Parts: sequence; structure tokens; C-alpha cells
Amino acid sequence: MSDFLLTQIINYGAPILGVVVFLSALGIPFPATAIMIAVGAFSREGFLPWHTTGLVALICVVLGDCLGYGLGYYVRGPVLRRFGDSERWIKAESFFQQRGGMSILLTRFLVTGIASPVNIIAGTSNISFRTFLFYDFVGESIWVLGYGGLGYLFGNQWEVVSEFISSFGGLIIGLVLLGVGIWLGMRRLQYIENAKKKVPEL
Amino acid sequence: MDAPANPRQKNFVTGLIILGLIFIIFFGLRTARAFRQFREHRPPPPSAAEEIETDVNLIRDWMTIPFVSKMYHVKPHLLFEALEIPEQGNREKSLRQLNEEYYPQAEGIVIEKVKAAVQAAITSRPDQVPVLPETPVIP
Repeated sequence: MSDFLLTQIINYGAPILGVVVFLSALGIPFPATAIMIAVGAFSREGFLPWHTTGLVALICVVLGDCLGYGLGYYVRGPVLRRFGDSERWIKAESFFQQRGGMSILLTRFLVTGIASPVNIIAGTSNISFRTFLFYDFVGESIWVLGYGGLGYLFGNQWEVVSEFISSFGGLIIGLVLLGVGIWLGMRRLQYIENAKKKVPEL
Repeated sequence: MDAPANPRQKNFVTGLIILGLIFIIFFGLRTARAFRQFREHRPPPPSAAEEIETDVNLIRDWMTIPFVSKMYHVKPHLLFEALEIPEQGNREKSLRQLNEEYYPQAEGIVIEKVKAAVQAAITSRPDQVPVLPETPVIP
């Protein structure tokens, strides 16, 4: 898939890159970060103009993210009817409203594998569109300039950088999964301990 | 947790931890290997962007003939001639596609022919020192 996309990008340039990052923002599993690094390298070697290519990528990825947010926003009604009264939903919504900005920002360029679900959750959890757009735009600018810049910096050695970044991204996802698992496990143990204390002795 | 602890929650938490550990081991090893390779490479100096590429080992099978031609400053018709295929209708095909279409019985022949043609073109330049293609090491 990655090779096919690279061939199309060198043939058709920024428009294909725009489609790829837009679909990637919607959750289609394209290797968008690796492609962004490659595009930076192509720009350095004069195959693509870095300014228009970067701008097209930024606009398309933000549009894709906004569509994800919109999907979340429009399923909010049914979700609220189903879970709106539950204490867990209220807690989760409150948590996302307090720290959602940072989650949006970090998932744009650091934990990119979970960016699409975060867009939908942002739409569902009543975080304002203006806030979402602000963090999304800042995060995606870091993604485009950061990874595209790395590709530009390393030029024809971009494959080495891409391999390192994609492996590191997987490692970060693993750490997040482990962290969430341990946190939930500890809360579960605490709950069991509290439940035991509440049982009156005979 | 507010709901009573149940086996499904336990399985979910255990699954998350196991999945996290699998990811960490798998991608941790890959990251370490990639980091070793990464350390061996330094960003080329800014002026290198204007230099003509001479290392034919950087040719990949997703590249097209016009891309290779521009990268190494070799005229595209020379590469099409080396492959003995028409330029018309083949400019947007990758080297892999050309191989599948014109040399289905000889896997990898197109990339090898392109490398050889590019290297020959570079060698014929008076001021260029080519980087030879990697040859397999015979033990």
C-alpha cells in the first residue's frame, strides 16, 4: 500500500497527498506519517514544491479531522439517550472537557494511531468546535512541519527516519495501552478492597 | 469502578496489559534496531540538495522512470531504451509494474537494468564518482 501511494504521489503530487491524509484522518489505515516524511524528502530533491504541498496536506488533514468531529457531534443525541444519565459517561465527558485539548494536540503528532477515535469522542463529548479546531490546527501543523521537515532534513535517507518514527509510534501506543491497563487494574483492585471492607463482620 | 467487579472487566484489563506488553516488546525491538541504523546516518548538509545523486542503491521499485531520471539527471529515454520498452504509456508506471508487465518471468530485472543504466550514465560523466550497487557477500 505504501509503495503504491508513493508512486501515485510522485506522479500526481499534492492532490493525491491531500486525499491520502484526508482519508487517513477519517481512520483509513494509510501510513500517513511515513508518507509525510517521504514528501519532505521529495520536496528537498525538487520533486514537489514544499510550500503548496505542505499547505494542501495541512488543509486536507484538518478537514478530515473536522469531519470526524462532525460525525461524533451528530451521533451525540443517540449516545446521550443511551448513556447520558450514567455516572461514568458524565465523568468521562467532564474529563474530556478538562483535558481534551491536550488529548487532541498529542494525538495529532505523537500518538497518531488513535487520532481518529479522539476526533469522534471530541464531537460526542460536547467540547466546542472552536477549541477542537484550535488544538487540531496546532497539532496538525506540528505533524506536517515536523515530519515533513524531518524528511526534508534527511533527504534521500528518509526511509531510515521513517522506520524509526513508525516503530517509536508503536512503542508509544504499547506504553499507553499498558498504562491504561495498569490504571484500570489498580482501580479495580481498590474497588474490590473497599467492597470487602463494607461487608459487616458476623 | 462503580459497577461491581466482574470477570469481563478482569479479562478486559488483563487483555489491555498483555496487548500493551506485546506492543512494547515488538515495537521496542524494532525501535532499538531502527535507532541503531538512524545513528549511523547524519542529515546531509544543506548544499547536498543541489548535488546530483550518484548512489544507485537508493533506487526503489515504487519509483517511476521519470522520477529516477530526474533524481540522477539521466535522460528518461536512455532508461526506456535500456529496458527495451516504449516510453509511451509507461511514464507513470512504477518499476515493479513495468517488471510485472514486460518481464513477468524475471523478478527484479527492471530495477537491476535501471541501476545498471543509471550507473553507466553516471560513469560516463567526467566529474562523477559512482556509488556501485551492493553486491551479495559470498561467505
